[in-house]
Amino acid sequence: MPEPNDTHSKGNIVMVTDGGSIPDPREWRLINAWSIALVGAVCALFALCLLWPEPYLRILLYLPDGVLITFKITVMSICCAVPLGLLTGLGRISRNRVINLMASTYVEVVRGIPLLVQLFYIYYALSRFFQVSGITSAVIAISVCYGAYMGEVFRAGIMAISKGQSEAARSLGLNRFQTMFYVVLPQAWRTILPPVGNECIAMLKDTSLVSIMAVPDIMQRARSFVGTTYLYFETYTVIALIYLIITLVLSKCVSIMESRLNYYDGK
Amino acid sequence: MTESNERVPIITISHVWKYFGHLPALQDVSLEVSAGERVVIIGPSGSGKSTLLRSINRLEEIDKGEITVQGQDIMSRENDINLIRRNLGMVFQQFNLFPHKTVLQNLILAPIKLHRLSREEAEERALGLLKKVGISDKANVYPAMLSGGQQQRVAIARALAMQPAIMLFDEPTSALDPEMVGEVLDVMVNLAEEGMTMICVTHEMGFARTVADRLIFMDQGQIVEAGKPDTLFTAPRHPRLRQFLNQIL
Repeated sequence: MPEPNDTHSKGNIVMVTDGGSIPDPREWRLINAWSIALVGAVCALFALCLLWPEPYLRILLYLPDGVLITFKITVMSICCAVPLGLLTGLGRISRNRVINLMASTYVEVVRGIPLLVQLFYIYYALSRFFQVSGITSAVIAISVCYGAYMGEVFRAGIMAISKGQSEAARSLGLNRFQTMFYVVLPQAWRTILPPVGNECIAMLKDTSLVSIMAVPDIMQRARSFVGTTYLYFETYTVIALIYLIITLVLSKCVSIMESRLNYYDGK
Repeated sequence: MTESNERVPIITISHVWKYFGHLPALQDVSLEVSAGERVVIIGPSGSGKSTLLRSINRLEEIDKGEITVQGQDIMSRENDINLIRRNLGMVFQQFNLFPHKTVLQNLILAPIKLHRLSREEAEERALGLLKKVGISDKANVYPAMLSGGQQQRVAIARALAMQPAIMLFDEPTSALDPEMVGEVLDVMVNLAEEGMTMICVTHEMGFARTVADRLIFMDQGQIVEAGKPDTLFTAPRHPRLRQFLNQIL
């Protein structure tokens, strides 16, 4: 006869998704993949601009507006996608059948449609009913898409917290909501942060798709530069290096945040 | 124990059934616990003793029968289970301290969120309880820094911080190294001496013998024998209890 309390709870560190692009916070050796990539990219960019200011420096100086737009879309999308992901994750573990079904259906539908198609759908197809600007539709499409992916991350992170934690909270008289927000989520956050950080970085890279809708992000700036100069090789080399530097710096930030969250391990 | 409240049932369990799938975990279990009484439940693993204990605060939902705590039916929709649970402190085998909170924060979380005690009042009460369980010097460390015995004493203090009328202990010493069992049992004995109503599932026969007003032996989801611990230990009537005692003593 099963006695649930007899089972020993395991540690709650579970890899939710592949955290590949986040450097391991315990990795302190100077030479690792992350530092090689970052130093390489920065040096390459400097070298190109110093050795051949024309056209590389000109390309570089043409891009800052685009970087701002890319960041703007990314930050706005993160601000929408993370809460949406949390709601979806909570919906997926809800005991309410209707909420559960709604959340699951949302995840299934969105995961089955490529982001590019979703972008086109909101920007072009839905323009029959209402007009939204390129940036707004980009933020909506990216948030809706990543909200579904993050929902799965949140769900897995919450499920990884041992049942004893919520039982202890409930036995003190905390209700379901209080248990989730004071006890389970603060712990789940530690499991959730690396994959969510990864999703945010992936999101930044995916914002390059919005250049197709004439949103002047990094990629669109590059395309317009190429359009007048035909310097395909030079321009896209600079673009690739810039994206690389940005994502490497961000992944290091996530890694630092991750190590900060390990404060209660007793090590 | 005062004679006046000895006969007042604070918990009544009547004809309770609980199934895990098709397996009956509890079969027609009935039990009354009086205010101030110390009940110890023993039995082989899988006998349903933890399930019975967890049914009292509805961590397990029973399938048939009725459980009342202080006169309130715990399965009724009219009664808020969260209010009932405030009067039922629970201590788990695996401690289940909140690892992201310090010892002090573990103790004040529920009192602040539920009683709306001020932080100062809650902290004062918490520090008093930590002193009582003998770990006032660890108030600001995280649970991972503590030994198992210390963690379990914090867990007891955390349950007491809600000032419950009844304490439920679910094998509180089973996950501990042998040398730490004593310190936890000492805290529980002190609590018993203060007149706390306690229901305790345990394998500690010495504790059962000294503390219990009533000893209950469960097997296969049923209460097989109940009575004064001395009687059960020295003159067990039921063959299954005799066999169980032979195995463990």
